[in-house]
Amino acid sequence: MSTTEILFWFLSALAILSALMMVTSRNPVHSVLWLILVFFAISGHYILMNAQFLAIVNMIVYAGAIMVLFLFVIMLMNMNADTEPQKNKWMKMAGAVASGSLMLVLVAALRDTELRSKGLEGAEGSIGLISQLGKVLFTDYVVAFELSSVLFLSAMVGAVLIGKKN
Amino acid sequence: MNAIILSALWGVVMMYTGVVTRNTRNHGVMAIIGIILLTIAAWLEFVGVQFFSINLSGMMSFAPYSLVFMMVMFVCTLLYFILSGPDMKDVGDQVSDYYALIFFVLTGVSIVAAFKTLLMLFIGIEIMTIPLYILAASDKRNLKSNEAGLKYFLMGTFSTGLMLMGIALLYGAHGTFFTDGINLGMAAVSPLTTAGLVLLMISMAFKVSAAPFHFWTPDVYDGTPTVFTSFMATIVKAAAFFAFLRLFENAFGKMHVQWQLLIAIITAATLLIGNITAVFQQSVKRMLAYSSIAQAGFMMLALFALNSTGKQGLILYAAAYSLATIGIFAVLVRMKDYTFEGFNGLSKHEPFLSVMLTVFLLSLAGIPLTAGFFAKYYMLVAALKNGNMFWLVIVAVLCAAVSIYYYFKVIQSMFFKEGANTGMRTGGVFKATLLVAAILVIALGIHPDWLLNLLTY
Repeated sequence: MSTTEILFWFLSALAILSALMMVTSRNPVHSVLWLILVFFAISGHYILMNAQFLAIVNMIVYAGAIMVLFLFVIMLMNMNADTEPQKNKWMKMAGAVASGSLMLVLVAALRDTELRSKGLEGAEGSIGLISQLGKVLFTDYVVAFELSSVLFLSAMVGAVLIGKKN
Repeated sequence: MNAIILSALWGVVMMYTGVVTRNTRNHGVMAIIGIILLTIAAWLEFVGVQFFSINLSGMMSFAPYSLVFMMVMFVCTLLYFILSGPDMKDVGDQVSDYYALIFFVLTGVSIVAAFKTLLMLFIGIEIMTIPLYILAASDKRNLKSNEAGLKYFLMGTFSTGLMLMGIALLYGAHGTFFTDGINLGMAAVSPLTTAGLVLLMISMAFKVSAAPFHFWTPDVYDGTPTVFTSFMATIVKAAAFFAFLRLFENAFGKMHVQWQLLIAIITAATLLIGNITAVFQQSVKRMLAYSSIAQAGFMMLALFALNSTGKQGLILYAAAYSLATIGIFAVLVRMKDYTFEGFNGLSKHEPFLSVMLTVFLLSLAGIPLTAGFFAKYYMLVAALKNGNMFWLVIVAVLCAAVSIYYYFKVIQSMFFKEGANTGMRTGGVFKATLLVAAILVIALGIHPDWLLNLLTY
């Protein structure tokens, strides 16, 4: 096995393990910390595909900013293992059946999929580099890029509107 | 593209209007000027005048069908601004910002009316819904409004997540975001495509509140300040439907047999649940929320049939439903009591308003000579022409009959029951605009071709 392959399997195992730990751990703060580990493992995958920009953004935005917000919310709501609400047994069962069915469908869908050779990016690919990304963003996708500014503007106006005292 | 750019710019103009003047009447006037300009801009694009030449690289297409839909929505918004705009100041102080958010929503409406790639669909849907979360929660001191905002936000983001997952799977299967690239016919159906299709279907059903994904609708519509419920239940809902139809026609039209049964089941469930639950409501506002689910069931028939009758019918339906619902909500906002009893004896004190309300309610029920009749007629004909599942048409007709019960309950309260005068404030402009809306409803009911002929312009 090459180094890339070893890294790939290591990161995949890490991601799945921490995701499971995130769901099962009873303390919300631990859950958040496991989730950060998931994000780091996925960022590692991005680096393996030579998508450096995506990896860094994933770390800064998700593992950084959003997780800090999560921790704040948990702190403000004073959640811990004791205050976890007890769910109905039937609700738990229904949830397990529903999500199990979804997983079955998705696994069945992904199992039959052959990876398109042209779509696969190796470590030497240049698609994920920031210069490539900038070029694509400001040529092919420039309309979508500009229009998403309206989205952020409205979100900003809304945040001020909700937060303002009157 | 004219309308998209102008509505985004006018949203910014509205924010500055709030800085320049604190008088809410001026805000209303500016918003009405904006929406008239927007309608003119869409019209100019319709006759071939472009303000800007932009290389869209095929991400949007402004066909007559999309532009007619945009114009219908802008005219409905104009009526909404004139009727309900003055009531916005009862919600909070930032009236100009509410108007700004509504203009941003209209940007989203224009984008989803014209998208050709899943990327633009996503951006359009998000621009359409994010301002709405804020409008739902805008009555900050009211706990129900806060609950509505949070519920809508959680449900909305959750369904957006499903949509993104579906888009990712479709991208994995086809390597493109363009709807034309996805629409390859039955030969190209892979498990990945099907999974993506189902996820997109679920998320769009969430957005248009089709059963079984409708649970958020009554609470959100009930808790949101009534002025904004009116906008949310009409223009935004119709636009989401338009996006739903465009998506499934352009991206999955050639696999129609693959998903037709699924849509038929959703349609039947939406019709049954919406109509039957509406019968048991005590509050007219909540009844209208369920009625909006029921009407969504009828609009789903266009998606089920996916033929030109259905496509024409959807525009007519959107116009008929939006006009009538905006009119009813405009009166409802000014009522003190939202229950059926609140309408008791309205015809004695406000005879003009009662007659107008009756026209709107008859249109929603689908009585001939109103726009609602032809709208429902087109939908049923479309489903019949499709010819596959006759039982669905029977369910739809039965549900239309059930709907007459709860719409007529309001009429009965107004005309045949005694009640005290609640002293509603009405003005000349308000009454005149209601009359215009009612005339439009009747005109479309007599001669729907006035609207539909535009499609073949």
